[in-house]
Amino acid sequence: MTMLMSESPPVLEKDLEPTRPWSKRPASFWWAAFLGSVVPLAILGALYLTTDLAVALLLIAFYLPMQLIGAGLAGYFAKGKHGIADSAIIVFAIGATALSAIILGSMLLTIIVRGIAAFRPSFIIQNSTYISPSTPLEYGGIGHAILGTFLIVGIATIISVPFGIATAVYVTEVRGRAVPYVRFFVQAMSGVPSVVAGLFVLTVFILTGVLNTSAMAAAIAYAILMLPTIARTAEEVLRLVPEELRTGALALGSTRARVVLNVVVPAARTGIITAILLGIARVVGETAPLLLTALKNDQTVLNPFTDPISALPTFIFDNVAQPYPDAVTRAWGAALALLIIVGVLFTITRFISARKPRR
Amino acid sequence: MHLVSIETPMRDLGKGKKANVGDRIFNRTITGAAFTSLIILAGITVFLGAKAVPVLQEQGLSFLTETMWDPLGVPPEFGIAGMLYGSLLLAVIALVISVPVSLFLAVFMVFMAPPRVSKILTNLVDLMAAIPSVIIGLWAFYVLVPPAQEWQQLLNQYLGWIPLFQNESGNFTGTPFIGGVVLAIMMVPIVTSITAEVLKRTPPELVNAAESLGCSMFTMLRYVALPFGRGGIVGGVMLGLGRALGETIAVFFVLKLVFDINFYQIIESGGGSVATLIVSKFGETNGEYEVNVLLASGFFLFLMTLVVNAIANLIVARTDRLKS
Repeated sequence: MTMLMSESPPVLEKDLEPTRPWSKRPASFWWAAFLGSVVPLAILGALYLTTDLAVALLLIAFYLPMQLIGAGLAGYFAKGKHGIADSAIIVFAIGATALSAIILGSMLLTIIVRGIAAFRPSFIIQNSTYISPSTPLEYGGIGHAILGTFLIVGIATIISVPFGIATAVYVTEVRGRAVPYVRFFVQAMSGVPSVVAGLFVLTVFILTGVLNTSAMAAAIAYAILMLPTIARTAEEVLRLVPEELRTGALALGSTRARVVLNVVVPAARTGIITAILLGIARVVGETAPLLLTALKNDQTVLNPFTDPISALPTFIFDNVAQPYPDAVTRAWGAALALLIIVGVLFTITRFISARKPRR
Repeated sequence: MHLVSIETPMRDLGKGKKANVGDRIFNRTITGAAFTSLIILAGITVFLGAKAVPVLQEQGLSFLTETMWDPLGVPPEFGIAGMLYGSLLLAVIALVISVPVSLFLAVFMVFMAPPRVSKILTNLVDLMAAIPSVIIGLWAFYVLVPPAQEWQQLLNQYLGWIPLFQNESGNFTGTPFIGGVVLAIMMVPIVTSITAEVLKRTPPELVNAAESLGCSMFTMLRYVALPFGRGGIVGGVMLGLGRALGETIAVFFVLKLVFDINFYQIIESGGGSVATLIVSKFGETNGEYEVNVLLASGFFLFLMTLVVNAIANLIVARTDRLKS
């Protein structure tokens, strides 16, 4: 047995990957593909320059059919009759990808370009006390809204993280009888519209007089929206903790609670941090709950219980409605700030999850 | 070798007499905290329902079947049929636009793009899902609406004989079509990432077998990948639909709210959405009763999304069970 193994050449992983000899294309395919993509583009360009038809009409009524025909011909040369449907799928798939990329690019570009116009140090650190919509951009800023967002999201994180992780621990570690129901309720909760979360807090805490319209009320609404995201992501990462760690710790004499608190949760800590960050990213731009529970305030508010408070989303919402260009530019600036926060959260989560897990 | 003590489910530790006290406390705490979601869902139902009942008693069923908003009348009269129907109409438009785009995008990511491109696209789709709705609304209001008006004029000009594309007012702003497009932009990343996830799980031996039997891409998708992932894809679409029904701010920026039901003229100015109604009327309510009416509207919005989500989960759960 050992002799056999030593004689056979080592099997590399890449040798096991299936190759696809049948996917070699004949030369006529490449010619047809080239002509099929260049000719429609050329006709589109010519039509655009010579006629004054709208771009959308040109794209949909002329370019897409021509591209389909061109690609269909290419497919026909490559694979015969079956190639036609294939090439139609390829055209639509690339079209859908390009469309989504254009939309995302347009969004990012517009917000960066228009937001930069408002960005200056004073815009980041000042608040908007004594600022009217027509005040020039040199004065006032979004400092109070940034602080408001941090305050609300911070409190919401403190509230939702213990419950979210406890839910995940219940599903993966305690494995109680109610697991299917708990998962169903978490799933159902993730579908609660943000405006309904706001209405709930409004009914239970604000209309009854328990809380003012304040950062605390908004944080409870945010926590309701964060909980399912944290619970579901944390559940997935706790599942990845190897069973040997649990049995090993038990064999060393730990109690079950110690196993969870000192072994399982620490082993999954980067994943749990990702779960928390995803929860934050889910709510940081939510506007509707804030409009119902935090209202707005031009001054910096640091007490989460007493006063209405502005956050970045509500700042954007208020300023867009103003008929003054400077106010609208401020809204774009706040949108850029919000986008930067989301971008930072997004990059950190990608960075964490891309790292190789230590063994 | 006996591993009985390890295989004993943690939930049963509370009963054994040898169980550690700390374990028992830990179990109870975790179990209690795990029911937060149930408590919150029940709380939303009870508290918003309690506000909805008196409104329904006073307005009768016409609250759901009539279209009016008369807070100053004697007695004040409210009916949100136009809003409920409008929410559904927007969701259907968003569905019609986003499902094909998401399907093709997911097919491209999973079966066509080289692994590196596919990875980049996955990140871009996730980034798109992370963009806050208020930013999408802002972008749509300033960047999407002007060309969209032009598209709608073209639709009306060339396809105006179809009732769907009628427009008598000549006003192409604030139409359900634009609202639906914005919702579609928000649905595409959700539906795409779930669809791609499901398609990725198509067993590679099935795909390879199909290819070695000479199946074209179309045949492979039609007879292998799509049937395999059907449940997951439908579930993903329903989750996106739930999100579309509850979306507030992005729609607020682009839709002109009118209380009459706009049945099918999707490029006629004016439509409805329950979520948007709540936000736009909340700042200008006349007295407590109108606030209660908004809370009641929120209750029905909640019920609507709950039903859609429950159906989505049932579909996903059933297909998971059939497969295993």
